[in-house]
Amino acid sequence: MKQITVGIDCGSAACKGVLIKEDSILAVCVKPTGWNPKETARTVFQELLEQTETAEHEIRVAATGYGRVGIDFAHKKITEITCHASGADYLLKGVRTIIDIGGQDSKVISVENGKVLSFQMNDKCAAGTGRFLEMSAHRMGVDLSDFPKLLTEGKRCSLSSMCAVFADSEIVSLLAAGKTREEIAGGIIQSVVTKVMALAGRVGTESPILLTGGLAQMEGIRKELEFQTGCPVNVSQFSRYAGAIGAALKA
Amino acid sequence: MIEMKKELPLVFDSFADARKNGFLAVKKIKDSGKGVVGQFCTYTPLEIFMAAGLVSVSLCSTSDETIPDAEKDLPGNLCPLIKSSYGFAVTDKCPYMYFADLVVGETTCDGKVKMYELLAKKKNLHILQLPRNQFTPESKALWRSEIVRLKERVEKDFGVTITDDMLRDAIHKRNEERRLLKELYELSTLCPPPITGLRQLQILFGSQFKFDWKEKTEEIQNAINQIKSGYDAGERPVSIDAPRILITGCPMGGVTEKVVKVIEEAGGVVVAYENCTGAKQMDRQCLEEGDPITNIADHYLQIGCSIMTPNPSRFELLGRLCEQFKVNGVVEMTLQACHTYAVESHTVKKFLEERNIPYLQLETDYGTADIGQLSTRAGAFVEML
Repeated sequence: MKQITVGIDCGSAACKGVLIKEDSILAVCVKPTGWNPKETARTVFQELLEQTETAEHEIRVAATGYGRVGIDFAHKKITEITCHASGADYLLKGVRTIIDIGGQDSKVISVENGKVLSFQMNDKCAAGTGRFLEMSAHRMGVDLSDFPKLLTEGKRCSLSSMCAVFADSEIVSLLAAGKTREEIAGGIIQSVVTKVMALAGRVGTESPILLTGGLAQMEGIRKELEFQTGCPVNVSQFSRYAGAIGAALKA
Repeated sequence: MIEMKKELPLVFDSFADARKNGFLAVKKIKDSGKGVVGQFCTYTPLEIFMAAGLVSVSLCSTSDETIPDAEKDLPGNLCPLIKSSYGFAVTDKCPYMYFADLVVGETTCDGKVKMYELLAKKKNLHILQLPRNQFTPESKALWRSEIVRLKERVEKDFGVTITDDMLRDAIHKRNEERRLLKELYELSTLCPPPITGLRQLQILFGSQFKFDWKEKTEEIQNAINQIKSGYDAGERPVSIDAPRILITGCPMGGVTEKVVKVIEEAGGVVVAYENCTGAKQMDRQCLEEGDPITNIADHYLQIGCSIMTPNPSRFELLGRLCEQFKVNGVVEMTLQACHTYAVESHTVKKFLEERNIPYLQLETDYGTADIGQLSTRAGAFVEML
């Protein structure tokens, strides 16, 4: 019998878990990380076990993401960069570039055969991350989940601030100046993608490209990335689980 | 002649014991009648002070403790080394800064140059005009004349005469010290290395704060013997599988040990330092025959700091160390707002790409808030090697 493995990717915003058997994903689970990453990871793990009716002792676990340090039931701890590379190659065989927009990090990873060649992460700054998008959405009175509804083809205004805090006050001024929420939403997406492109410029982007992370399903981001890279940008239904899948494969 | 400072600072009583002991140790040197010279930079020719019988000590601070005080005068977006050093000067919290009778700086980076102008209001300061080119006859002549001017300043301030023979003796002693420290760090060419990168850094950094030449050289020799005999007896503090990392970039020590720690906690080992704490100052010997002033000038001018343009010495050393230490990857540590190293990191990246050596740049400051981010980056880098 082939080993059953679990990968837990405990990020700053969400904790993702994947259970894999014989190279097939049998179960996935995601929960907001909340204030106690250790407990959340445990809950995600239990749920994967229940979904598949598996006993804990049959399983090898690998943890990744910022919360990995506290996950004491993991047999292995691996950084999310290595995990994303292997998980992305699982989702899109032969992938060469991964663009991951996470809660507090955004990163661009150059890969070959699932192995990291080089990578760039954002510096100590929230610009270009999911948190920035979330803050901006709240400033306009919508939840992150409703934010995509504001995105309208061709509507955008430019945001000059690269800093999340300054951008926040810039949004206030733009709203006061009568810009519509749709225009500002377009501007925010453009700003996030521009920041990510600065990282991509240092690594170099080669096709195929896979978008991962919690914002991967946001069509507006994918389109803007295609526009700015000039290449097709792929998304998988399991994109946000890429790190967890990689961890499970390496457990 | 200047009056030497021997009294403890007014804030002395508020200090913790470790700091009090630091002050008392320097006060003992002062009470013995020796003058103290503080310097910031590897370009400072320590032979001049040694020849004059003075104690010299590095004033580059490595903690964020005094940065808020420094930011009363200096901008926030400035290199933490500059802010911290200035902060210790204005708060009287560093015994070396406090007791330094003369502080010597060079026209290296823009941040330091302008900070020195402010520091001059607080300390007896001498600035060496360092050219940014190492090869033209004009640069060499300027730098030689600056060494002469420093010698004259020291003679005047401390009421001493420095002869050529005294300088030759100092060159010889400093060469011995360089040779020993080089022998020590070259132990890490072994596979696996006999010491961790953290221990190597702590020995190299610590050697800057030993003031008796004889004691210092004996201590280094003892450390070498101890490490060698441990290794021969089968001690292996580092795994043979640990990827071998060279660190390049800004000076290290104190809080920036965090960079070494995250690399070694991730399973790598730092084998060499191409920076001012490591090989940059120990790699070469100063010529002993001939005119000592010219030898000193030529020796120091060849240091490959990113303030030089172009800066071939750095790349010659970097390439050579990568081969000698059989390096698997290079990590560059740049301090926040260090423009010259940050810009030159692009050239370093290209240089290493041509040699198929993986490279990671980590920018950091003197805080500890970025440990998580540093360990993810360093961890991923070690995993990919």
